[in-house]
Amino acid sequence: MRRYWSGLGLAAVLAAAGCGLGDTGQPAAAPGATATGEVKGKVSLQTWALKPKFTDYMQKVIDSFEKKYPGVEVEWLDQPGEGYSDKVLSQAAGGSLPDVTNLPPEFALPLVKQGLLLDVAQADPAVKDEYVPGGLSAYTYPGVQGVYGYPWYLNTDVNYWNSELMAENGLDAKKPPASFDELVAQARTLKEKSGGKVYLMSRKPELGDFVQAGVKLMSDDGKSFTFNTPEAAALLDKYRDAFKDGLLPRDVLTDTYAGNAKLFNEGTVAWTTGGGNYITSLAVDNPSLAPKVVPSPAFGTPPLYVQGLSVSAKSKNTPAALALARWVTNAENQAAFAHLVAIFPSTKASADDPFFSKSDGTNAGDAKVMAFAALAKAKMLEPVALTEAMKKIVKQQFALAISGEVTSKEALDKAVAKCDELLQN
Amino acid sequence: MAAHAKRVRPGGLAAAGPAEKALRYALLLLVLALTVSPFLWQLSTSLKSLTEDVYSRTPTFLPEHPTLDNYAQVADAIPVWSYAANSLVVAAIVITGNVIGATMAGYALARLRFRGAKLLLGLFLATLVLPGEVTIVSQYVTVRSLGLADTLLGVALPGAIAMLNVLLMRTAFAAIPQEMDEAAVIDGATAWQRLRHIGLPNVRGMLSVITIFTFIGAWDDFLWPLIVLTDPDHYTLTVGLQYLNGTFTSNPRLIAAGTMISFVPIVVVFAALQRYFFRGVEEGAIKG
Repeated sequence: MRRYWSGLGLAAVLAAAGCGLGDTGQPAAAPGATATGEVKGKVSLQTWALKPKFTDYMQKVIDSFEKKYPGVEVEWLDQPGEGYSDKVLSQAAGGSLPDVTNLPPEFALPLVKQGLLLDVAQADPAVKDEYVPGGLSAYTYPGVQGVYGYPWYLNTDVNYWNSELMAENGLDAKKPPASFDELVAQARTLKEKSGGKVYLMSRKPELGDFVQAGVKLMSDDGKSFTFNTPEAAALLDKYRDAFKDGLLPRDVLTDTYAGNAKLFNEGTVAWTTGGGNYITSLAVDNPSLAPKVVPSPAFGTPPLYVQGLSVSAKSKNTPAALALARWVTNAENQAAFAHLVAIFPSTKASADDPFFSKSDGTNAGDAKVMAFAALAKAKMLEPVALTEAMKKIVKQQFALAISGEVTSKEALDKAVAKCDELLQN
Repeated sequence: MAAHAKRVRPGGLAAAGPAEKALRYALLLLVLALTVSPFLWQLSTSLKSLTEDVYSRTPTFLPEHPTLDNYAQVADAIPVWSYAANSLVVAAIVITGNVIGATMAGYALARLRFRGAKLLLGLFLATLVLPGEVTIVSQYVTVRSLGLADTLLGVALPGAIAMLNVLLMRTAFAAIPQEMDEAAVIDGATAWQRLRHIGLPNVRGMLSVITIFTFIGAWDDFLWPLIVLTDPDHYTLTVGLQYLNGTFTSNPRLIAAGTMISFVPIVVVFAALQRYFFRGVEEGAIKG
């Protein structure tokens, strides 16, 4: 509730700030009028929760930038992970947005709507040739012309299986389910063999799962939601049956639900999804579990997670800001970043790097290779226009449908109607 | 508490039969376990070594290989001491502001007669209705235009007089019998003298309550300092500790150790003031 209020308050003031801008005659989608010019002077860069682990890496990238363009001075700010969206919105409302800011696509959207970000494709047409299309499309918004960020690092999901739990209950992690129906079948085996103590499935369906089932979530013009189709209802029905048969933990429908990754870490659940670096971080949390984890490719279309660097439309030093955003996201610097942690570069030039396509033989290495292979067909599954408030409505309606209180069709119709209503505002 | 325990009242704890007593203690222990166990889990996590599992089906509270390494690592990863010092500065300003400001405002509202006193009280009450988050951006814009963005004073100022504390002080002052004030007026005491010699000695309990709550509030606040502060050197402890929970890297042992470090000062303040605190909670016992 607290977060909801703060978001609302920030959004309201931001809207007011945006109106103020409009009055001064600045068009909503600000063009990069001063995009060309000498790269020098002060420029600020804001990243998200990279200190202290990646301080050395970032400092190296910044130092080399300052070396390449003598006379330029980078002021680097790293913001803590929690509350970043609030921080960025208040910076925008207060007129103190840094020149270059690390924004995931959904955080950038409200700023794009207020014309606070620069269309980098217009200012720097070469971006379209140098970055992968998936990364660029993440910063392209329905109803707005342009690309509003340099894609930075990418990630996707891989399936992770607890081989020990599966072996104990008559399953083989080497032959994991490859589709939703197989997943349900194996979940049934696991439940029967373990007497209901261990689960395979522990996740409510999300809108992303509808995409796998071939459902279109939004109309092309981005003005309405379209996920109340019979295919979507059929998928919800499958989940409802699985839930009724006890294939999912009972509390999966509530908001207090800990999440499948947490249950996986505890050894209650034998399947979770996670990024390419999941096993590495699991080795820190639960060192005895990590070696028992076996990865396999995600079902259907893998989700694409994108981070990017956006340039402020009100930057006083646009040439330096563009040069800096481009420098941090160039193939060489991204490759160096990817060697430190299992993320993947958004530059086309990195696709041939053997580092990503060869496993070192560990399960973490296998997961990294699988994730990299999956990136080629990965897509952003959920539209960026989907706000937290909408996600909550969808979650509630799905919970009602899965518990059997309303039919799947009713739940979907209601979710679409309410989300459309929020979208209009 | 002490006064009540000495007198054995019928129907009190002492009158209960052994079975009922056992039940009461069982319930008390249950609630104790519920409130304390998450804390104990954090404490034990902060002491676990890197080879131990943090998450398990049944939480383990005893680390197999207890270590203080995590605490040392927290101190290495972030400048804990300077963050804590920043937090202390903010807490000191906020406490001073509340203790002095709320006392004077509360006394004026309870004891002094002036035009618009009722209206003022109504306005104070009205501001309590708004959740702080709604006004946070206008607050930020105000603090920015005062030139206080990215300063500790900017963090402390909006909380320096909390309306709720003014109301609490007003209630505490109002509980002092009117006759005592009137007697002082007849003796020729000014408003300041009445505040000092009659008011203050009777509200020490409430003041300690306000001090503790204000301290905890200022110490634990996260969103507001995050929004005001930009330079990491100025961060308060709660904001700075977030660096332990970075992208790709969040060792739950370090986070737990950081939490424990930030918890210590709260214990110290509470321990120092608890004598007054419990008196404050059951205030109303007027001596004199």
